[in-house]
Amino acid sequence: MNDCERLSDRMPDVVLHRSEWTPEEAAHLAGCAECLAEWELVLAARALGEAALTAPDSSAVSAALLRRLAEDRAGRARARRAWWFAGAAAAAAAILVAVMTGRDAATVAAPQVVAEAEALVPLPELEGLETAQLDTLLQSIDRPFAGTSTLDASTLGEHEDGELEQVFAAWEG
Amino acid sequence: MSASPVLETPSDHALAAAYRAGDERAAAELVRRHAPAVGRFLYSSGAARDEIDDLVQEALFRAFRRLDGWRGEASFRSWLFAIASNVLRDEYRRRKGRQVLSIEDRDLPDRADPHADLAAMETEERLRQGIASLPRLQREVFLLRTQQGGGYVEIAAALGTTPGAARVHYHHAVKRLKELIR
Repeated sequence: MNDCERLSDRMPDVVLHRSEWTPEEAAHLAGCAECLAEWELVLAARALGEAALTAPDSSAVSAALLRRLAEDRAGRARARRAWWFAGAAAAAAAILVAVMTGRDAATVAAPQVVAEAEALVPLPELEGLETAQLDTLLQSIDRPFAGTSTLDASTLGEHEDGELEQVFAAWEG
Repeated sequence: MSASPVLETPSDHALAAAYRAGDERAAAELVRRHAPAVGRFLYSSGAARDEIDDLVQEALFRAFRRLDGWRGEASFRSWLFAIASNVLRDEYRRRKGRQVLSIEDRDLPDRADPHADLAAMETEERLRQGIASLPRLQREVFLLRTQQGGGYVEIAAALGTTPGAARVHYHHAVKRLKELIR
């Protein structure tokens, strides 16, 4: 690093009064046109705006800033809430669609399952029956269950209490 | 005779932490410390005088809005300058490329040597235009060096470059500006 570069590196410190030129540096500056031009440039850049600008009213600036930051926070909170509601509504809609779709699928699938069951259950013993015989058979299958109880209650009265308890215990498993 | 108590000045780090914890006075103190320098940085970068207040507020707003982004590698002021530079760039884009720099039409101060004042103002305007016309990194490094006295390491951290590159940008800027104001 030569003298000019060293001087250039020191200029910001000197212009901000954090340091001063040493006698050697001052002598170099006085005799070096390039360094002097750079020093004048740094001085001018440092002074930019000092005369032209009035210092801002810090309390007014900070009051406006804090008000704006508060509005921004409130706005972001509102946006978060809106997004939350939108998300919840979307989720509810998705669930509703899923439920409706599932119900439709069940409705559509049921006859198909019955048809497949009808097609697949092998009952070769029915193949030879006439239509009238099949109707009679169906009617006997459809007869109400209550009227065809397999329990012969008339015989229960003939049993002792102990035997009856054994029967009930057997029913209950 | 008892010694007067020494009032400790809180650092920018401490004030930023206090603001994050909800202390609005800390924000006010940071504004008091740095707003004038940000204004001068913007003016030096070519912003019109009548827009400085709005631009300063916008820069401060963006800074406080994402205060967590300041990790302390660069000084708070250098970090603010980088944000202010973004604000100015956005303003320039908003105007779809029209130059932000205004040629100031200031009244001459009533002094003994109005010709000297006029010459000084012309030099200042020429310098402002020259700085505004520099490539962005050259401009920012130059102003951070000359107005804040930042070292290359700190400037590099603030601008997201290397200290060596910051040094090169500074010397390119100085070379161009010297030619301009001669």
